[in-house]
Amino acid sequence: MKSLGKSALLFIVIGLALYAGVYYAAERLMVQTGRSNPFFKIAKAQDSTVDWVILGASHAMPLDFADFNAQMERETKLKILNLAAPGAGPLYNRFVLEHFLHTHRARNLLYVVDSFAFYSRTWNEERFTDAKLLRRTPLEPAIAWRLCDYARHEGVDGRAVLDYVSGFSKINNRERFQRDVWEGEAQFERAYRPASNAVKKRIDYLYPDQTSPAALARYLDEFSAIIALARKVGVKVVVIKMPVPPRFYMQLPEEAGFDAAILRLLTARGVSFHDYSETTDDPGLYFDTDHLNRAGLTAFFLRDLKPVLGSGGG
Amino acid sequence: MLFTSLEFFVFLPLALLLFSLLPPAKRWIWLLLVSYAFYGASRPLNLVYLGAVTLFVWSCGVALERTSRERSRRLLLAAGLVVVIGSLFAFKFYDFIAGELERLAGQALGSDTPISLPRLAITTPVGYSFYAFAAVSYLIDSFARRLPGPQNAGQVALYLAWFPKILAGPIERATTLLPQVAAGLRADPARLVLGLQLIGWGLIKKVVIADNLAPIVDKSFGIVAFAAPMDLLISVYLFAFQIYCDFSGYTDIAIGVSLLFGLQLMENFRRPYLAKSTAEFWGERWHISLGRWFRDYLYIPLGGSRAGPVRQYLNLMLVFIASGLWHAGLGYGVGWTFLVWGVLNGAYQWAGVATRPFWRRVGERLPRISKSGPLLALRVLLTFHLIAITWVFFRAKTLGDAWLILKKIGLNLTEIPSLLTRFPFTTDHYTAFALIAFLIGVEIVDERRSIFQRLAAASVVLRWAVWYLAILALLILGRWQAREFIYMQF
Repeated sequence: MKSLGKSALLFIVIGLALYAGVYYAAERLMVQTGRSNPFFKIAKAQDSTVDWVILGASHAMPLDFADFNAQMERETKLKILNLAAPGAGPLYNRFVLEHFLHTHRARNLLYVVDSFAFYSRTWNEERFTDAKLLRRTPLEPAIAWRLCDYARHEGVDGRAVLDYVSGFSKINNRERFQRDVWEGEAQFERAYRPASNAVKKRIDYLYPDQTSPAALARYLDEFSAIIALARKVGVKVVVIKMPVPPRFYMQLPEEAGFDAAILRLLTARGVSFHDYSETTDDPGLYFDTDHLNRAGLTAFFLRDLKPVLGSGGG
Repeated sequence: MLFTSLEFFVFLPLALLLFSLLPPAKRWIWLLLVSYAFYGASRPLNLVYLGAVTLFVWSCGVALERTSRERSRRLLLAAGLVVVIGSLFAFKFYDFIAGELERLAGQALGSDTPISLPRLAITTPVGYSFYAFAAVSYLIDSFARRLPGPQNAGQVALYLAWFPKILAGPIERATTLLPQVAAGLRADPARLVLGLQLIGWGLIKKVVIADNLAPIVDKSFGIVAFAAPMDLLISVYLFAFQIYCDFSGYTDIAIGVSLLFGLQLMENFRRPYLAKSTAEFWGERWHISLGRWFRDYLYIPLGGSRAGPVRQYLNLMLVFIASGLWHAGLGYGVGWTFLVWGVLNGAYQWAGVATRPFWRRVGERLPRISKSGPLLALRVLLTFHLIAITWVFFRAKTLGDAWLILKKIGLNLTEIPSLLTRFPFTTDHYTAFALIAFLIGVEIVDERRSIFQRLAAASVVLRWAVWYLAILALLILGRWQAREFIYMQF
């Protein structure tokens, strides 16, 4: 029985050593193929201080597709770091911002709001357990501790911590050899042909739960915490809503209620808010149901966003 | 709780730890509690159905034990069977039949819904098909006095609720499980090692093989009308291996987990795609516990092959139609496809019985040729393809879909070589083919001598190397995103 115990212990020790080797290889591979994960961008950011940091969900991501961020930097002569992530609600964005401010500085924060991200746990607490995000997040003790903290206090599933620390999603990543590029980026140049069925499916996907005032209040609080956090370290906050096609905008549930609530909150805190939702009607300026393509984004940037960035958000 | 979930990997060691601390004679009580916790974890209401079935069949068992009059005993058995099988039938088919009647009435009367029948609208308890059949087996064995003396109610409850098997079998017999429980449960190191190996192999079959094949199959079977013939052909082949690895993976884990607790469950799969006839496939290799259940509790009571050739043919078809009905609701909904699936398999058995004398004569006159490798391989391939055709009906959403799949493939059979060269194979396809090749290789080796026996006799370096490779395969290639086992959905 004693020798059986010894064998078992040896088996476990060798197994752990092998696991560590595989984990190391997976982490190295992640570094080589990394690109759009916000934590990867923070780890790889060359400047310790940027003029603008951008947060939000997928609508903010095209601002960093292909060479667009570099183009914006050239046009404005400002340093911009886009940390938006697909489906990221205020809770996940707060997590990103806290980590960013732990190691970097920013003068301004541009937050791209989307109502869907304020109505469901799917885009907040549950976002932390998404293997697609975890497998591209570099292993850092500071992130691990912060994640533990969110598991203890913010209702994030403890499995996210376990997954992150054990590196399971990285080891198990089916796209381990592919570059970390969000699927939308491949379509950035194309013009979309509208289909009402696709819009409905997209809205159903974005709003998995009923829109409830309680959920909205919960995530507006998170959003307030982001503003407070930024202000505490002297970061000026600007909030915008990106253009979306009218066909999409018309079907958003409770959008007027969301607009009123966010406007109330931002006015009370003296944060400037620019609603560009209905400024780009042409469906040919989107690459899918609701994301601007290069032509649409260029027009939007030159017309609306550039002045905002240039004035420091004023 | 899925065998592939993190919860299960926490639950199992905890259950095992307390099990090992208890005296052997009392361990079954802990296992009963653990089984109820496992079964009730996802939906506590399931325990009400399980409790009701347990109480009912145990009471029937006690009554059958105490009653000596044959007529009363027969009535008791009939009542028990009507309640258990009737409830299973109602859960599976009542709403489907009501819907079909409404549809037929609508067609006949020219209106969309001229009648509206009430629905049960019950979320059927997961695993009911399996433990209802175990309950029937208990009732019949009690009636036949195959069980030794009056049964402990708690142990009967454990027989029905035993967590590794409750969701998808094997459909164990009370005659083999209850004596093990009554004797006191002990786990020895050899059984522990074998149990862990079975769990590992079951996980590889499920999360590495079956779940890597599933996305390709789902895509083609999802919208059959838009799928290309080659896509469908590949998916039909892949589904044959997906369903095998999914289901046998589950039972390997169930048997392995049971061994950790000192319980031996029956073998449920024996390399089915190496069968040389459909009779061998169903009788000796695929879902053995269900095959034997039908043999012992339906085919033989109906007279089997002893009541003349006509009755034999009729009995065979009845068994396979019943099997088709039993499979309805397991993973792919309830529909007429399962009836056709059963009839088709029954027809294979007819053909097998009808041609048996011819093949016997061939075997006698040409013994060397009939046992030659190429002919055996041909028979294995033929059997596999016959079975693969039946799986189309099992997997397709409707009879129309199944027919369309077979038609598209059939009409393009001669084009396959040219279609193959032009087919846009992806990494997923190559991964799937490599995994299937690996599986077939393992099964051929296993057919000659058990892999586990080979491993036990191998050097410690080789044994450990195989185990580490298996663990790495699970970590690197496994799809762990909680995809349910096909058979555990009802």
